[in-house]
Amino acid sequence: MKFTYNWLKDFVEIKITPQALAEKLTMSGLEITSLQAREGDFVFEAEITANRPDCLSVSGIAREVAAITGKKIKWVRSQESGVRSKGPLVIRIEDKKDCPLYIARIIKKVKVGPSPAWLKKRLELVGCRSINNIVDITNYIQFNWGEPLHAFDLDKLSKGAIIVRRAKNGEKITTIDAEEKALNQDILVIADEKKPIAIAGVMGGKVTEVTEATKNILLEAAVFNPQVVRRSRRTLGIMSESAYRFERGVNLEIVEFASASASRLIEEYAKGRCALSARTGSAKTKKGVINLGAEAVNKFLGVNISGAKIKQILDSLGFKVKAKGKFNFIVTTLSYRQDVTGQIDLIEEIARIFGFENIPRSLPLVRPKATGARTKGLVSLIKNILVGLGLNEVITYSLIDKDLLEGFDLGQAASPIEILNPLSKEQAILRPTLIPSLSRCIAYNLNQKQEYVNIFEVAKVFTADKGAPKEELSLGIALSGSKPYLFEGGLVKDEAGPLHLKGILEALFEKLGIRDYKLATENNRQFPIYVGEQKIGLLLSLEKNALDKLDIKNKNVFLLELSLDKLFSYAQIKNKFVELAKYPGIARDISFILKVEVSVKEILEALKIKGGPLLSEIKIVDYYKGKQIPAGYRGLTVSCLYRSQERTLTEAEISPLHEQVRSVLTERFFAQIR
Amino acid sequence: MDIEDIKAQIDSEIQNISSPEKLEDFRVRFLGRKGIIAELTGSIPSLPAQERSSFGQQVNLLKNKILSLIEEKQKSLGISQQGLTGSAYDIGMPGIAQELGRLHPLTQTIDEICSIFNSMGFSVVEGPEIETEENNFTGLNIPLEHPSRDVFDTFYIGLPTSKKLLLRSHTSPMQVRVMKAHKPPLAVVVPGRVYRPDAVDASHSFMFHQIEGIMVDKGIKFSDLKGTLEEFAKSVFGGEIKMRFRPHFFPFTEPSAEVDISCIICKGRGCSVCGRKGWLEILGSGMIHPNVFKHAGLDPKVYTGFAFGLGIERIAMLKYGINDIRLFFENDLRFLKQF
Repeated sequence: MKFTYNWLKDFVEIKITPQALAEKLTMSGLEITSLQAREGDFVFEAEITANRPDCLSVSGIAREVAAITGKKIKWVRSQESGVRSKGPLVIRIEDKKDCPLYIARIIKKVKVGPSPAWLKKRLELVGCRSINNIVDITNYIQFNWGEPLHAFDLDKLSKGAIIVRRAKNGEKITTIDAEEKALNQDILVIADEKKPIAIAGVMGGKVTEVTEATKNILLEAAVFNPQVVRRSRRTLGIMSESAYRFERGVNLEIVEFASASASRLIEEYAKGRCALSARTGSAKTKKGVINLGAEAVNKFLGVNISGAKIKQILDSLGFKVKAKGKFNFIVTTLSYRQDVTGQIDLIEEIARIFGFENIPRSLPLVRPKATGARTKGLVSLIKNILVGLGLNEVITYSLIDKDLLEGFDLGQAASPIEILNPLSKEQAILRPTLIPSLSRCIAYNLNQKQEYVNIFEVAKVFTADKGAPKEELSLGIALSGSKPYLFEGGLVKDEAGPLHLKGILEALFEKLGIRDYKLATENNRQFPIYVGEQKIGLLLSLEKNALDKLDIKNKNVFLLELSLDKLFSYAQIKNKFVELAKYPGIARDISFILKVEVSVKEILEALKIKGGPLLSEIKIVDYYKGKQIPAGYRGLTVSCLYRSQERTLTEAEISPLHEQVRSVLTERFFAQIR
Repeated sequence: MDIEDIKAQIDSEIQNISSPEKLEDFRVRFLGRKGIIAELTGSIPSLPAQERSSFGQQVNLLKNKILSLIEEKQKSLGISQQGLTGSAYDIGMPGIAQELGRLHPLTQTIDEICSIFNSMGFSVVEGPEIETEENNFTGLNIPLEHPSRDVFDTFYIGLPTSKKLLLRSHTSPMQVRVMKAHKPPLAVVVPGRVYRPDAVDASHSFMFHQIEGIMVDKGIKFSDLKGTLEEFAKSVFGGEIKMRFRPHFFPFTEPSAEVDISCIICKGRGCSVCGRKGWLEILGSGMIHPNVFKHAGLDPKVYTGFAFGLGIERIAMLKYGINDIRLFFENDLRFLKQF
C-alpha cells in the first residue's frame, strides 16, 4: 500500500519528518518498506498485514499516525449528500450473505475527460494510472477511504433492476482487461436483467465500461462477502485493488459516505448531476463490548502501564472507552477494526502503541521437564560417528522427479506418494528411498572432478501403507571413486568398494551395541542388511542402467540405506567396563588355501566354536589371491589368540587345542594348510 | 643396471665417505626422489609379469642394505639421525591425509541453535513432515479461506485419506501436537524440514528448515519472550548486536513481533545485505493466541506462553556469509568442506 506525506496531511497534522514518521510507523506495526522523495512529496510504501484492512486507505493510515504522534484526526466529512430517493431504481440482492449492502447512484450528463492535475498527481504517486475523471474519482475514493467503487455506463445496461447474484454455470463475461472469463455458481456477479456486467468486488465488464462516449453513469458502492470475493478471484485468477480490499473486509459504515463523496466529486469535476440513489441492505455493524483491566494487561505484558495511559492509548485509536474506577474499562468495538474483538486484541493495541521497545526484558522461570526424544540423541551420535569416519553430510530434497526413481531396481513394491500441486516435475513425488538422491549427489560431485566422494544423509523417506502415509527416518551412505594416500613409499589409491561400506556399518553397529547382524547376498550387487531376523536395510552397488542414467562413467557407486526407526529399536548403548586381560595369551597363525566359494564368516564361526572359551580372539591377518594360489582358490592367514582370565596358559595346554582347530579347516572346509 | 653391480658399487663407495655432507650426497643419489632405487622401482611395471615380484624383492633388499649402511656410517661419523634434516624423517613432506568429514552447515546451525535453547531449559523434539490441514492451519487459528493463509502456499498429498494431508509449510503445527501430548510447563524447540511451492532462486527454495520454539506455563509474559530471544540472538550473533521487536501479525500469536538484529555486515550503517536499513529480520514470534490454546485443549485463562519460529537457512546464510540458498542443497563437496 502506497500513500504520500502530503495526502496524509489532509487528515492529520504532522510535525515530524517523513523519515521519523516511517520509523514510528514501522515500530508500531505498519512496516514501511520504502520511502522516496517525489515531485515535492514523499511516497511511503507500507506492508499491511492481513489483519489490518483499515490501513488500506490513506484515512486509515492517518488514524494510526494520529495515535502514534498524539494528534487529533480531522475528518472532512462536509455536507453528506445521503440517499435521495428510492425512485424507479431497483436493486435486487439474491443472498444478503453475499452482499450485505449495495448503494447505487445514477449520475446524469457527465462529461468524461481528463482528471484535474492534483488528482492525476496523487493517483500516479501511489502507483495508480490515470484513466479519465470518472474512473479516477472512484479510485481516489478507494485510496482515500478504503471503499472500492465501480462506475458503469448506464446506457449500456438493459432496462430494469440491478441484480447481485451468483453466476450461472456456463455464463461468460469479458472483463475490462479484455479477457473472456467463464463463470460458475461460486462466482458472484452484478447483472442487469440480461447479462452479468461485473464480477462482484473483483472487476467490471468491458461492455459497460465508462469511456469518452459515456453520458450517464451508475455508481456502485457495496460490500461483498470476503470469502466469496476470494473464491471468485482465485477461480478466475484475477487480482485487483478492489478484490484485495473486499477479501480483507471493508468498513460497512464508510460505504454511504464514500458513495456520496464520489458523487460530489463527479458533480464538481465531470459536471454530472446525481439524479437518483438507492440502497439495499444495512450499513449498521454489531458493536461488541470488551472488559479490560489494567492488571491483566500488565501481567500479560510484564510491564507497568497506568490505567490513565491505557485509556489514553485506546482513546487515541478511536475506541469508546468507559472507565469503571481507575483500572477497569469497558471498551466498545469499532466498525473499522473488525480484528479487535477480545481482550487479547486490546492488549496488543496497547503494547503496540506503548511501544514494544518500552517493554522490559525478563527471563522466564523454567521448570524443565524432559520431553525430548531419545532418537534425537541417537541421530546425533550416528552423524558424529560418520563424520569421524571422514564422511560428509549432505541434505537433498525430499521431493524428487518420478523419473529419477526409475532405473533403480530397489524392489519398491508400492507406488510413491504423489504431490497434487507440484510447481515442476522435480517435485512430483515424496521419495520412498534416499538412494536416487544420494546417487545423483555422487554424480554431481564426480562431475566437479572430485576423485573421491563419500557422503551420507539422515532424512525421512515416505511410503503409503494401505492408503495411509508412513514416514520413516532413514540413513543413506554413498561412496565412489578412490582416495589417494601419499606415503613415503609412493602413492597408493584406495578404491571405494562394498567392504568400505561394510566397515562403516561395523563401526556404527559396534557403537550402537548391535551385534546380531548380517549381510545377506541377494544377487551380486545387492546385499540386504539384517538385524536378528528383520531386514533393516540394503547395501548395493549401482547397476549399469542407473550409472548410465546419471551419466557416471568408469566409476562404481556403492550405497547403503538403513531404516533408523528399525535400527533404533535394537540399539542398546550401555557401556560396561570389562576387566582387562591379566594373563598373557599365546598367538598361533594358520595359513591355508581353500575354495573361493567357502564363506570366510562360516569358517571363523566354526573355528571359534571349536576353540571354546580359551580361544579369546580370532581374526584374518592376511588374504591373497595370485599366481602362487591355484585358480578358484584363495589364500588366508588367521591368527588365533588363546588366553585365560584365570591363569597363564602353557604351550602344552594349547597345542592339542590348536591342533583340533586346524583340523576343522582341513576336515570340514577341505583347506590345504601351507 | 644390474643389481649385483650396484651392490658392489655401494660397498666401495661407502668406504670412502668421510663427511656428513658426502654421506647425504650418497643418500640422495641412491634413495632420493630421483635416485637409483626410485628408478629401479619405477622400472618394475615394464618388466614381464612373472619377473616383477622377484625383482621387487631384490630392490627392497637393496634398499634395506643401503639404509643400514648409511646408519652404520652415521654412527661412525658421530652424527645423530635427528641432526640431519631429511635424513630420516622429512617433515617437509605433506602429512599423510586424514580426511575430516563435515556435518552439513545447516545441521551445524541447527545444533548450535538447539544447544543454546537447551541451555535455557528447552528440550528438542521433532515432528512429522506430512501434516493434517487442521494442524497446519485451522488449529493455528489460520482460517482456510482467508488472506492470512496466502503466505503459506502448500503442497498437498495425493492420498485418499479422510483428512486432507499436506507437507507442513512451517514447523508451527508442532505447537498443537506438543500441547496436545504434554501438560505444561512446556519448553521445547522443534527443528525440521518444511515445504512451500516456491520457484527456486537465490533466496527461495521449495524445501527449507525452520526451528519452532514454544514455552507454556502459568504466568509466562511478553517480557519473557523478549528476554529469551535476546539471549538467543546474542549467543548466535555476538553480544554487541542491537535488537528490536517490531509489531507484526501472525494468526497464531498475539501480540506478534518480528525480531530484527542490527546488520552484522555493516553494523547498522546500511549495506546491500540489509537493504540499506541497517536491520536484519531474523525471526517471527509472539504470545500464543488464545484460540490456539483452546484448540489444543488448554485453558488460556490458566496458561500463557510464547512461540517463535526462525528460518535456519537465513541464519546460516547470515552467519557464514552465503549468498545463494541453492548451495545448501547442491551439496558440492567444495562447499561442504568449508564448514
